[in-house]
Amino acid sequence: MEYETFIKDAEDILKKLGKDFQHPEPNRLDVYIDRTDLLAAAQAIVDAKWGYLSALSGLDCPAPKAEGQQPVEAGHLEALYHFCRMAAVTTLRVKVPYNDAHVPSICSVIPSATLYERELMELFGIIVDDTPIPDRLVLADEWPEGVYPLRKSFTGLDVPERAAQES
Amino acid sequence: MQESKEKFIVPIGPQHPALKEPGHFEFTVDGETVTSATIRLGFVHRGIEKMAESRTYIQNLYLFERICGICSHVHATAFASGVEKLAGVTVSPRVKAIRTLFLELERIQSHLLWLGVAAHEGGFDTLFMYSWRDRETVMDIHETISGNRVHHSVNLIGGVKFDITPEQVKKSLKGLDFLEERAKYYEKVVTTDETFLGRTRNVGTMTKEQATVLSAVGPTARASGVQRDVRVESPYAGYPEYPVNIVLDEGGDLSARFIVRIKELYECFRICREILKNLPEGELSVKVPRRIPAGEVVSRVEAPRGELFYFIKSNGGETPERVKVRTPSLCNWSTISSVAVGHKLADMPMLLVGIDPCFSCNDRLVTVRQANTSQTMYWEDLRKYGVEYYK
Amino acid sequence: MESKKISAWANTMEGLKTWARINSPWVIHFNSGSCNGCDIEILATLTPRYDLERFGVKLQGSPRHADILLTTGPVTRQARERLLRVYEQMPEPKFVVAIGSCGLSGGVFHGSYNIAGSIDEVLPVSAFIPGCPPRPEAIIHGVVALLNSLKKE
Repeated sequence: MEYETFIKDAEDILKKLGKDFQHPEPNRLDVYIDRTDLLAAAQAIVDAKWGYLSALSGLDCPAPKAEGQQPVEAGHLEALYHFCRMAAVTTLRVKVPYNDAHVPSICSVIPSATLYERELMELFGIIVDDTPIPDRLVLADEWPEGVYPLRKSFTGLDVPERAAQES
Repeated sequence: MQESKEKFIVPIGPQHPALKEPGHFEFTVDGETVTSATIRLGFVHRGIEKMAESRTYIQNLYLFERICGICSHVHATAFASGVEKLAGVTVSPRVKAIRTLFLELERIQSHLLWLGVAAHEGGFDTLFMYSWRDRETVMDIHETISGNRVHHSVNLIGGVKFDITPEQVKKSLKGLDFLEERAKYYEKVVTTDETFLGRTRNVGTMTKEQATVLSAVGPTARASGVQRDVRVESPYAGYPEYPVNIVLDEGGDLSARFIVRIKELYECFRICREILKNLPEGELSVKVPRRIPAGEVVSRVEAPRGELFYFIKSNGGETPERVKVRTPSLCNWSTISSVAVGHKLADMPMLLVGIDPCFSCNDRLVTVRQANTSQTMYWEDLRKYGVEYYK
Repeated sequence: MESKKISAWANTMEGLKTWARINSPWVIHFNSGSCNGCDIEILATLTPRYDLERFGVKLQGSPRHADILLTTGPVTRQARERLLRVYEQMPEPKFVVAIGSCGLSGGVFHGSYNIAGSIDEVLPVSAFIPGCPPRPEAIIHGVVALLNSLKKE
């Protein structure tokens, strides 16, 4: 199928930058990369004219509960950059720890990413360094700082003002 | 040297200028010319992605349907298909056909709605009344088959809720014939009416290069010659069996955007007829477990406005771990902030409406920056300003 | 004592005059965060098939001339301020009609972190029109029922 060729191409483009490559579905490629390589990866995809940036998802993966003596895997936040070319989807996945939640902006390479980066910042609290417009996109002006609704720690049942005090 | 800049805050209503909020765009104007544009959303932010995490997959079907009242079925289909992929379930050909039928009917309804709104923005109110009156025919078809005009709730996870009877087929075909005649009339208006062309030709031109780089999607992209249509590139539901002929226009201007949407109507009619006349066999639904196996899936569909992107992550439980929804209008907004620069303020209403912004999919704000003072300009005034300017 | 009686009478006369104006009410619409389903059905009432205007109801754009506020949506945080402002700008007597399930209780969005819930948590509502969305006929029925109930008083 056509998408198989595209996926192979994407792997070739990113093989030096990606740490780990996975195929969750036949038409999808997940590339785990360090944030320091994110901009280069985005540039490589754009230079090769491999598709377009379709979406930017955030993920909150908190540490699982400790069971007995087993050491707990630290939780992390993740930013997923989905690029689409016809039926193929390549996702750049950047994991960041809670206490150092930064990713570089890719707006210098893909200007239209600004809206997605704004949304990522306010809903997950992942700071996008050097993003051209850091203003809020969807949360209300009165929404307190430091409260990130899409994090698992925000249950939505608390009054956000109280949640801000507790975090 | 002091530049004279004016700041207009222009709140935009969802579909009609008389409606207040939830839109807020920000334009910086130098005299008559727009020098930059940004947006602020927030009025229709309902926290859907968060809510989805604490509701079961079945409850979420009803939630996602209501992201938007115009493109509700396409959201539900994207979600249901994604979950079915995770569950490793395949739906029957009949289900795919019924889903596709509704997807195309929804496209017809959406394009006619847009035609009316766009016409109204340009001051062509008769066209607005005509297209919305004709749109009622599609609403009737929706209601005949599904029981509701909007939010038809066609989908189940694993199938559809109802079947189509021969009576309904007959009625729907008649409606489609009427609509096709009307579409021919609209095509004539948008391609030959001089007043109309005066407001749309060479306005908001976006080159193929720009459209590609700015990640434009949907009819907005296709009007600039970019071959982007998820139904063609990555067929889903029944599209492999009922393939779509992509509708393109090289014009790249507002007039092209009208033409592309009207021509797409013909494709919709054709596909709907094919499905209605040859409904394949199959069960209406298959059993899907309450607990969906863990995994991540990407579900992309072509909404009337462009590519709709769903990312669903399951943790093996009854409620999703994460659902990310990226709606098409968010992509197309970036094209405005680039293309608007250099245009006159009077062109803004038509330009904005050209991307067919869905305010509930992504609500929007408009502000026009001014150095010292800030002026609130209601959308209605901006629209009237545009109409007067071109008289 | 007498002056109080006179002013009470004057108020009643004023009231009666304004009730009479309700015969041809001017209506304004506000979307406080809805999916647009209700808003489009409201707009559809203007189109030839339903034709709201034959009931003397006119949908227009400014709060300062409006008698009835048709509001949809589950009142998101950002919209709440503006909803209140629109209401404040309306002259007395004024009435609020909440349209759709979202207006009643927040609809499917009930419990979200960004919505206030039902419209009557923010404004005094005179009439609720349920539905998701309510049909144009239902909207017209609701508005006309409100007008009739006002005329009766």
